[in-house]
Amino acid sequence: MLAPPLPQDAAHRLRVLLDLNILDTAAQERFDRITRMAARLFGVPIALVSLVDAERQWFKSRVGLALDSIPRAESFCAHALMQDGLMVVEDARLDERFGALPIVAQTGARFYAGHPLAMPDGQVIGTLCIIDHSPRALDDEQRTLLRDLAALAANEIAAIELRRAHERRLANEAWIRVLLDHIPDGVLMLDANGSVMSANPAAEQMFGSDLYGLAGRNAVALFGEDAALLLDPELTAAAPPQEGGGRRIDGSTFPIEVQLAPMCLDGQRRYAAIVRDVTRQHEDAQRSRATEERRRKHFTTATHELRTPMASILGFSELLLKRDFDPATSRELLDIIHRQASRLVDLINQLLDLARIEAGGTEGLSFTRVNVAELVEQTLTGLNGLGQNHRIRVELETGMPAFSADPQKMQQALTNIISNSIKYSADDTTVDVSAAALQRNAKLMIAIRVADHGIGMTPEQLARIFDAFYRAGESPNVQGSGLGMTIFKEIIELHGGQADIESHPGTGTAVTVWLPALPDHG
Amino acid sequence: MDKKILIVEDQDDLRLLVRLSLKSLGSIVLASSAAEGLEQVRAELPDLVTLDVWLGKGDSGLDVCRAIKADPATRHIKVLLLSACGQQSDVEAGLEAGADHYMIKPFSPQSLFETVATMLAG
Repeated sequence: MLAPPLPQDAAHRLRVLLDLNILDTAAQERFDRITRMAARLFGVPIALVSLVDAERQWFKSRVGLALDSIPRAESFCAHALMQDGLMVVEDARLDERFGALPIVAQTGARFYAGHPLAMPDGQVIGTLCIIDHSPRALDDEQRTLLRDLAALAANEIAAIELRRAHERRLANEAWIRVLLDHIPDGVLMLDANGSVMSANPAAEQMFGSDLYGLAGRNAVALFGEDAALLLDPELTAAAPPQEGGGRRIDGSTFPIEVQLAPMCLDGQRRYAAIVRDVTRQHEDAQRSRATEERRRKHFTTATHELRTPMASILGFSELLLKRDFDPATSRELLDIIHRQASRLVDLINQLLDLARIEAGGTEGLSFTRVNVAELVEQTLTGLNGLGQNHRIRVELETGMPAFSADPQKMQQALTNIISNSIKYSADDTTVDVSAAALQRNAKLMIAIRVADHGIGMTPEQLARIFDAFYRAGESPNVQGSGLGMTIFKEIIELHGGQADIESHPGTGTAVTVWLPALPDHG
Repeated sequence: MDKKILIVEDQDDLRLLVRLSLKSLGSIVLASSAAEGLEQVRAELPDLVTLDVWLGKGDSGLDVCRAIKADPATRHIKVLLLSACGQQSDVEAGLEAGADHYMIKPFSPQSLFETVATMLAG
């Protein structure tokens, strides 16, 4: 017995067969009627539609055979598959290829005629065959008949293949549709002139119109002039993404990143446009530029502020070393040096403090339950004599809930506003420190208010109150770094609080700090 | 010939420092703001102005400098900018505003004296 040879493109043939999804499926009348007809027309006991995979031949339809498959090596059909047309074995016992096959030796098959079943692309996947228990021959008419029946069987398989291809295409289209419907990027198809032909929902939403509003609009109108430059007839591959100004149907604009890829559809040049709304990225970049600018300005100002007292210290000490002054003037100059050196130390401490607070964020704070009355008392004690010429009036609501704070930092914040009130108001005037629990935006807040009857601020001064190194009025008699209110604001914000400031020139200033209260016994 | 020097500086201490540094070079006129400085420039027509750059209340000595150099009646007046802004870009901005010289705070009174003396002689 000789093993049947393997077809040249066995792998491709098997792929075609497997893609049909036909192996091991139930019997179907469309094939059974062909085998019945073959058995009757040729007067044979066995007729088969046989499909041959790598290991076996499997019968999609069979008349007169109990087995649903036999090994490929034991089959006539694997040989018939290799034929250009009909293969006829008139007497298998006389043919060395088939004499020893079990179907011949044991089942008594003597005659075989099989015609390949070819797919529309020419791939042969099986045979239509007839088998008889006695030797016989086929005349030309019978050969034509068997070829015609094989063609009918091949048509049935081709019909299955067509349906499978259709289903596959539908599945592909559904997949692409779902993908286009859900990706956040806008996807549009443009014709060769850049006019919109279709758009996915993200693109419709981005440009503020459904496809009816977008269709026919030109890329220039939607993506801006720069992006339209990408509509290059020479373009053969996707151009790199380009930033542009997106324009919605209502005329409003937004920043976009657009990428165009040329393509061909039905022989026509088209472009796929992928559009991304980069508003958020732009805002982030702008914010970081603003932060950078603020840092740079802060650094410049800090340097300036540090150099100013140094100018006095270095300048006056050099004068004292090189020139002779009368004792009173010497003393005056030494006094300036001392005062400016103290200011320098104060500035450095405050700058370090501010840097620490800014860098540490909330993690740099030690939060604990803080009682308002204790906080106010400790703050006033800590003023260390500052304000001894003022009347400091304290009025605290009883039974206020506690709040969560870093007590040291909160004391520093309160000290900064109380000392400002003292510094910017005349001796013998009153500074009111009061606190109460109040509802604000539907939340229970602790409100701590510090009000003076001092020189107050103009709206312009008030607007700059939190600027680092800004000193309202630049009153030469008032000592300070100009960082107190900046530090105050940082601390209050890190505590999730807010500050309101009311001020009128000549009337005074009132600062109210709002801090979230803790639940009563929580 | 007695020279006249105008010192425009908003900080009391520094105004005193500049005055003490330069008093042997001529008669001294003082101003503590941009407006007062310009007023004195026009009224006194000094030979030289030492001009602080950050004059407080958002006023800039650079504006004063530009005004001096724009007015044919005052453009011959020498301007020495004295500033705690010490970056190259600050110096360039000062010279662009028309200043004849730029000195960075802190400065040595001796070198301020020498610089002003040279400028007055030139």
